Amino acid sequence: MARAIWSGALTFGLVNIPVKLVTAVTQKEVRFRMLHDADGGRIRLKRICVVDDAEVPYEHVVKGYEVSKGKYVAITAEELEKLDPKATRTVDIHDFVELGGIDPIYYEKTYYLVPDASAAKAYALLLEAMRRSGKVALATFVLRTRELLCCVRPLEDALALSTMNRADEVTPVSSLDLPKRAKPSERELAMAEQLVGSLAAPFEPERYPDEHRERVLELLRKKAEGETIEAPEPERAPAEVVSLADALSASLAAARRRGGDTAPHERAAAPPGRGERRHRPAAAARTAGRKKPARKKRS
Amino acid sequence: VKARTKRPAATGAAGVEVEIAGRRLVLKNLDKVFYPQAGFTKGEVIEYYARIAPVLLPHLRDRPLTLKRYPEGVDGMSFYEKRCPRHRPKWVHTEPVWSEGNDEFIDYCVVNDLPTLVWAASIADLELHTSLSLARAIDTPTLLVFDLDPGPPADVVTCCKVALVLRRLLDRLDLEAFPKTSGSKGVQVYVPLNVPVSYDDTKPFAHAVAQVLERAHPDLVVERMKKQLRAGKVLVDWSQNDPHKTTVCVYSLRARPRPTVSTPITWAEVEKAARTGRGDALTLEASDVLRRVERFGDLFAPVLTRRQKLPDAKGIERAAAR
Repeated sequence: MARAIWSGALTFGLVNIPVKLVTAVTQKEVRFRMLHDADGGRIRLKRICVVDDAEVPYEHVVKGYEVSKGKYVAITAEELEKLDPKATRTVDIHDFVELGGIDPIYYEKTYYLVPDASAAKAYALLLEAMRRSGKVALATFVLRTRELLCCVRPLEDALALSTMNRADEVTPVSSLDLPKRAKPSERELAMAEQLVGSLAAPFEPERYPDEHRERVLELLRKKAEGETIEAPEPERAPAEVVSLADALSASLAAARRRGGDTAPHERAAAPPGRGERRHRPAAAARTAGRKKPARKKRS
Repeated sequence: VKARTKRPAATGAAGVEVEIAGRRLVLKNLDKVFYPQAGFTKGEVIEYYARIAPVLLPHLRDRPLTLKRYPEGVDGMSFYEKRCPRHRPKWVHTEPVWSEGNDEFIDYCVVNDLPTLVWAASIADLELHTSLSLARAIDTPTLLVFDLDPGPPADVVTCCKVALVLRRLLDRLDLEAFPKTSGSKGVQVYVPLNVPVSYDDTKPFAHAVAQVLERAHPDLVVERMKKQLRAGKVLVDWSQNDPHKTTVCVYSLRARPRPTVSTPITWAEVEKAARTGRGDALTLEASDVLRRVERFGDLFAPVLTRRQKLPDAKGIERAAAR
């Protein structure tokens, strides 16, 4: 059985059914890796800053939201985390609605809810009640950091959970620029209905395989028998390790040549005042000897 | 940090791997200017922190650190980071601290050694913000802080005047206090405690002190946060005595136009500024601070060790009445 991606409980009223969420749909798209045509090396993506053209390490990448053209508000993972919904571990049923009342436009991704052995009876009861009433449950649950709207419905001997788009994510038909609704004649309508009737068939999805995928896989099988590209291991130059002072010296020399202001400030030499009670200046003198920071020669 | 002269190391985007006290670290873009007005580079930021480390590290030791990072320098965007970045070297020490808001433990960076400090600087953590508590005793503040924040046209000189009346009041309570610049516009006054005490003790105490000051000097002091109340006065911010708050650590750089530092100063310097009305001597930059430390050592050393007990509320009233 597929691995559970979430576990928790299906709840409504006083009913609490421990369940696991398992994937019901697996995409079978053929996936490719990017290779260098000259040597077959794998292509790695780098994050490049458009300002200085330098690679940006992951720790320096923050999220920016474009408020207006070219203007961003930066936000950290931390700030976003604060807004995350609490991981409640429950699928909370809010309403029971007619299945036919939900247009498929709302459906996103489907999972199965599998009950714990201890909850078999409650699970079967809910399933049967929904089947008889013809109603399905509208519920919410938190998957990782998102609160998702979903529909729970009987599917053979299981409960299926389909995540759903939110109302404001669906483009309303009214926003389309449709031609004016023409009024067909009864005769035309009868003919069209007859045509529909002649093509009517039971829904058998296995009759519609992805033929394009089959052809791509077939080609790949043939090629694999003849020639495979061996991806070579990338070469790594052994890194040279230097002292911090060495690493800094060149950079600092350049910075100072550019006129970075490191000239002594007169005020820096001003003694901490006289007439101090308690610590001063004896304590200062004491710590001065002990805690003198290492001084680096300027190069 | 040993001084050796060797061929200049490459310090571009590819970086250079350095060894610091047995730890290895890759430093990149050392020539990047972090303080454009002063031409102060990332390399200079790292150098400052490496050189100030002997006096700075004791104040960071065992405290949860909140990073304030400026990947593009002081003119770019910045962000606070409480959770120690996941892409940290393995040897960076962290401590879990319970976060009420997140309802989970957050692993904070704890800077106890030079390599960790250099690492923090290398990820553009210009400002170091520390908890008033140690990670292992997060409910026990080791010190009390008053953050004196001037509302324009009040300035650092006004802050010094308020610091002096605050000091006088604390003195009557037998509490010794230590001033530092915020590195920005204000002054902060620290009262070392280093005794078993909780924020439930320190926060109301600090609030009471601020109220007493406001009552005694309504022309100078305000203790409520409201912006319009603050014009021309100094906010005595007592609310930082809170387990969820952090205060800029002594010797931390600030992300100001120039590389100014939150610097320990003497009461004589505070008096002089208040007397002469000139506060510019209290704007201290990285190079100034290194020189001061060489001469005077760590003026804030007593903050780490001095043990002082808070008086009760009546004590404050009595002291205020005197």
